[in-house]
Amino acid sequence: MKKILCCFVLCLSQFAMAEKALHLFNWNDYIAEDTVTRFEEQCGCKVVQDYFSATEEMMAKLLAGAGDYDVVIPTQNAVEALVKQGFLLPLNKSKLSNLGNTAKGFLDKAYDPGNVYSLPYAFTTTLIGYNEEKIAELGIDPSNWSIIFDPAVLEKIKGKVTVMDDSEELFGAALKYLGYSINDNDEKHLKEAQALILKAKPYWAAFNSSSYIKELTVGNIWVAHGYSSDMFQARVDAADAGRDFSVNFVLPKQGAVLALDNMVIPKKARNPELALQFINFMMAPENAAELTNVVGTGNPNAAATPFIEPEILKISAIFPDDEAQKTLETVGARNAKQRRLINKLWTEIKVR
Amino acid sequence: MPNRAERLSRILLSLPPGLYLLLLFAVPSLMMLFASFRFSGEYGGLAPWYYIEDGQFTLDLTLENWQRLFESDIYLGLLLKSLAYALATTLICVIMAYPLALMIARSKKRHRDLLLLLVILPFWSNFLVRIYAWMIIFSPQGALTAALNVVTSSLGLEPITLMFSGTAVIICLVYVHLPFMILPLYANLEKHDHRLLDAAQDLGANRFQCFWLITWPLSLPGIYAGAVLVFIPSLGIFAIPDLLGGTNGIMIGNVIKQQFVESRDWPFGSVLSLVLTAITLVLVLLAAKLGSPAGENNGKK
Repeated sequence: MKKILCCFVLCLSQFAMAEKALHLFNWNDYIAEDTVTRFEEQCGCKVVQDYFSATEEMMAKLLAGAGDYDVVIPTQNAVEALVKQGFLLPLNKSKLSNLGNTAKGFLDKAYDPGNVYSLPYAFTTTLIGYNEEKIAELGIDPSNWSIIFDPAVLEKIKGKVTVMDDSEELFGAALKYLGYSINDNDEKHLKEAQALILKAKPYWAAFNSSSYIKELTVGNIWVAHGYSSDMFQARVDAADAGRDFSVNFVLPKQGAVLALDNMVIPKKARNPELALQFINFMMAPENAAELTNVVGTGNPNAAATPFIEPEILKISAIFPDDEAQKTLETVGARNAKQRRLINKLWTEIKVR
Repeated sequence: MPNRAERLSRILLSLPPGLYLLLLFAVPSLMMLFASFRFSGEYGGLAPWYYIEDGQFTLDLTLENWQRLFESDIYLGLLLKSLAYALATTLICVIMAYPLALMIARSKKRHRDLLLLLVILPFWSNFLVRIYAWMIIFSPQGALTAALNVVTSSLGLEPITLMFSGTAVIICLVYVHLPFMILPLYANLEKHDHRLLDAAQDLGANRFQCFWLITWPLSLPGIYAGAVLVFIPSLGIFAIPDLLGGTNGIMIGNVIKQQFVESRDWPFGSVLSLVLTAITLVLVLLAAKLGSPAGENNGKK
């Protein structure tokens, strides 16, 4: 009997703990650990984190029924799709005292006019991260998508390249290399991009969206296609580990994908009040700045700028200057027919 | 002739496994079959299978998903490749597990439990953790690759890479599934009547003849059981090729997962799953057929 009582009490305490938790569904490596700890102290709750490494992966999980996260960090095109699905809770702005910190240029965008459902969290570019010594030694220009698509260049780095396991990102890069827009949905152009990818595929080691930071830091691969924030972390990690090489990253001159990630609250959230508290917390200047200083993201928070390390502000791959901004594009939401086409082409790429 | 009570108890006994099969195999498979003829929804999931226009009921089903399977040979090619990987894994497992299982079965009784414990010891740590350990071993900076490349370079050959290759996938498949071959084999070998070998020796058989004419045929049911336990999970696995396969080492399980997760194309995912299920069923029936006649008069006579 005592045992049963014990179990009962344990179960109850489990429930009590579950009630005081914020469930966060975020990109992998996309928040500073110290920030999480501080929020936990402030709210007296636990932050339970789940991660995703691709927009499609996140959408699949949310739409398959796992919608009870308190806060999700989707990219702009996913926000648009989630709004259309009626999946999100309108944000109660009266609870957000830090609302005024966000730079005006990042608000009231077409994907969520008036920011009814979403507020900007951070932005990244998708670019090339590389082993500085090796690439210099081989005389390759890293600021050109040819480094992952042109067989003549790839010949020298065969098996040392990974590209993203993400149809949007890889097709985006291929379309840019071919001189088209990232949002080009012309079947002929997409097939051209597919042919380009298939020709380059034998030279790639893997499709990889989550562990390229490690592979680049250890020196297993020399070139990775991935997010600017991840490459920033790879560079810091390689320096901290005292490697005999350094990791660097650069925006390809043909242009690249710009992703604006946002904080949203699903309708099914277990604790919307706590979610608002978290969103407000992340918009405080110090916390927003920490995201950039530790994770290396671009920052839509104007009030955070004084807290950001000046060296990071100077990196144009993280904070694109006017020149670079002209070449960047955000991915729009594709309709069902366009999605089916690109998925079919993508599956063929994986299988062949 | 079984009497009524016997017949009743037989029906009652087969009820739980029957229900289990019905609920967890037949029903989901039929749902998949239905899904494979439907269109995928706007944002994933499935589109409604009918619509009513002007009071007229119209079915909205399609053969498109099945046509896509045969449209080009890439999916069937991948299926063949996956079968080859699973077959290679099973054969290597038999070759590696047989001597070990025989050794454990013939060792002293008090040692057997300890030896068996050692076989299942890896299960104590998580499957993914063990795969990550292999990623470290295979990495170009790892000791194994470095050591192998000292050998290849001394022979004047190109340096090899283990990570992100079909070889890495097969090595890990063998590593993960080896205990599933050892355990049924051991269970079979352990029951062999030792007097058969004594009798054979008395009649002048040498050691090889003892093994080949007595132990081997008696152990076949164990091999079939182990083969089923190794082959089927290897055929459908996606985690190992995902992590170790690179661009060329993927298997059918990866493409099925891709349809359900990234592509959100449940109908085509259902088509591929059904094909895989059908192949598996055929192979299980085959193994059951091969295994059963020997199985009835197996072991102690």
